[in-house]
Amino acid sequence: MESREAVFEYIWILLIVAVIVGLSASMAYYGFARGLNPTCEAYTLEEARKAGISLEPGVREVGPGIYEVTIDARQFTFIPREVVLKDPNRVTFRVYSLDVIHGLSIVGTSVNIMVLPGYVAEFVWEPPKNAKGEFLVLCTEYCGIGHQLMYAKLVIERSSAQMAGGG
Amino acid sequence: METRVYSVKEDWYARITIAVAFIALLLGGVFGVLQVISRTPYWPNLYEYLAGLGIGGGASELYYRGLTAHGVLLAIVLTTFYIVGVSAYLTPRVLGVNIKPQTLNVSLAMMVIGTALAAIAIIFGWANVLYTFYLPLVASPLFYIGAALLILGSWVFAAGVFISYLEWRRANPGVAIPVTFFGIMTTFIVWIMATIPLVFIVLKNHVPASLLGWEADALESRLFFWWFGHALVYFWLLPAITIWYYYVPKALGVPLFSETMAKIAFMLFILASTPVGLHHQLVDPGINPYFKYLQTVLTLIVASPSMLTAFNIIATMERAGRAGGGDGLFGWLFKQPWRDPVFTGLILALITFGSGGITGIINASYQLNNVVHNTAWVVGHFHTTVGTAVVLTFMAYTYLLIRDLYGRNVILRNVSLAVPILWFVGMMIFSISYYTAGLAGSPRRTSIVTYGGSIPPEWVLPMQIAAIGAIIFSLGGLIFLVQFFGSLASGARIPLTQPTLVIMNPHKPGPATILDNIRLIIVAAIILNIIAYSGALIEIYYLRGLSPVPPIHP
Ligand SMILES: [Cu+2]
Ligand SMILES: [Cu+2]
Repeated sequence: MESREAVFEYIWILLIVAVIVGLSASMAYYGFARGLNPTCEAYTLEEARKAGISLEPGVREVGPGIYEVTIDARQFTFIPREVVLKDPNRVTFRVYSLDVIHGLSIVGTSVNIMVLPGYVAEFVWEPPKNAKGEFLVLCTEYCGIGHQLMYAKLVIERSSAQMAGGG
Repeated sequence: METRVYSVKEDWYARITIAVAFIALLLGGVFGVLQVISRTPYWPNLYEYLAGLGIGGGASELYYRGLTAHGVLLAIVLTTFYIVGVSAYLTPRVLGVNIKPQTLNVSLAMMVIGTALAAIAIIFGWANVLYTFYLPLVASPLFYIGAALLILGSWVFAAGVFISYLEWRRANPGVAIPVTFFGIMTTFIVWIMATIPLVFIVLKNHVPASLLGWEADALESRLFFWWFGHALVYFWLLPAITIWYYYVPKALGVPLFSETMAKIAFMLFILASTPVGLHHQLVDPGINPYFKYLQTVLTLIVASPSMLTAFNIIATMERAGRAGGGDGLFGWLFKQPWRDPVFTGLILALITFGSGGITGIINASYQLNNVVHNTAWVVGHFHTTVGTAVVLTFMAYTYLLIRDLYGRNVILRNVSLAVPILWFVGMMIFSISYYTAGLAGSPRRTSIVTYGGSIPPEWVLPMQIAAIGAIIFSLGGLIFLVQFFGSLASGARIPLTQPTLVIMNPHKPGPATILDNIRLIIVAAIILNIIAYSGALIEIYYLRGLSPVPPIHP
């Protein structure tokens, strides 16, 4: 009886170890071998100034389907409030705040980051080929009593040629 | 071995602190009901009515004020007061040693005054910063001073617990530490380790920002807050686990399945509760992914003692159930004292903790965090952990305390069983619905989520069902509170076995082993903290340098 119970105890401990090792390995593989990191680069506003990075809010198309989007997140709005991207393949976001902490999430996508004042958050998003239409962009961190007013719109337009090719 | 101790002072302390805890549950619960109804799409915004009466600065201001009160009252006041109370009650009973009365007096005074100051700041709307108070949003200095007094008061109590341990150790050299007391010690060791980073950052950044308007760095402040914030979760959880280890074998009349396993679990909690805060900052810019990954692995490790605990408690139940004639694969489940609201409450809390544990691992999972960070999912998650595993355990165990500590019969005894059942069912509905809404991107914390009519339709139904679940578990809470305060006011008095209390060890105490070497594990935990955090600290302070910004009132 005693020894039979002990066997279950050891099996359980082995299972726990297997879960820890398995999950750690899978996260390391996807994170470091496949580059799927839940993170983004950051530099201080001062570093941005020194490096000559423009923080003028807006959308720039730097190549076919390659965009740079700069967003100023502030109590209680995003500037710009509407971003339109045509056939985007690769979008580099630079989001910064000059007042308090905000968050930026594009509902229905994997974009979900924190925006800390004094820092520029930079990350690259490759929109899925079938992403199309209007997306709600919202602030996900409490930033003051107008927090619920802080949202914006992302529009992805697809030309029919790309839809056919990318489908 | 038989010792006689008189726990008059401890019981006095426990009666007051546990009553304060349930006053906090009452007030925090009222705000909870107000906000869950108000933020549900297409349901009435109750704060709109209150604002219409001329209270506060509009419906959303009142909402965030109430949300701050809800978080602080339930996550900080209820938990801390109940934990010191139940620890004061149990320590003389399981250890046979008193707690120094001076530490009880001083800690009670500090904690009550601190709570009152913070409560004033919150209620008057001078601290609409939510319970995480991220800089550069600042509250009135009263809020920080109050919170600091509350925490320092709990440190004084912790000192009392540690002194009792040393006294006991001197009188019982070479004897194994009783498991229940091991749990209490673990709770306060984790609490001290958790609150050191918090006290440091509040003194360095929050207080100067609030008093003098000094600039502070947001990333640095968040890092120290979460160094505290995750261990806070274990401060809540450890006493609940201790109560499971203490009461479940007692109710079943069998020894705990494995005391060794229980102590290993507590050791792992001391080791890995604190160096894991970065899993709350996985989507923060400015922290190297390797440091985040390291703490993700440590988070998986700190999940393991919870799995050991679940096994240990359920194995104890199975052993008792089989001894009672339950056979087959599940027969033993029907031989449990399910009619006992204390037992049922603890086991339903344990089951809910399973759901909270799995969603917790998902939260902390490096890549998956992206999907759930700051969504309603997280709200579902912590209502299963602190909101049920902890609070339901505290409520259920209080049925015993009403009798054994307050010396009163429980009023409306027949409905006691409804409390854990309503809480469990309501919380399942609430949390699963919030998981669903969160996966669709519905945010946490936001007062109104309609976004000028552009609310995604898939948020609506889960949020409405969640609100119904919340009303169901609140009903359970209301019944409990009526019973608690009603029993104290008008329950029939029963003579207490106090002040003479006979302590008998249920079995001969074994010799101390490596598992009773607490000093060793504390040193290991400190080293692990240094390893886990030094990279991120070097990056923030030296490689990049801080970027302070001025404080702003919300
Ligand atoms: Cu916001
Ligand atoms: Cu955590």
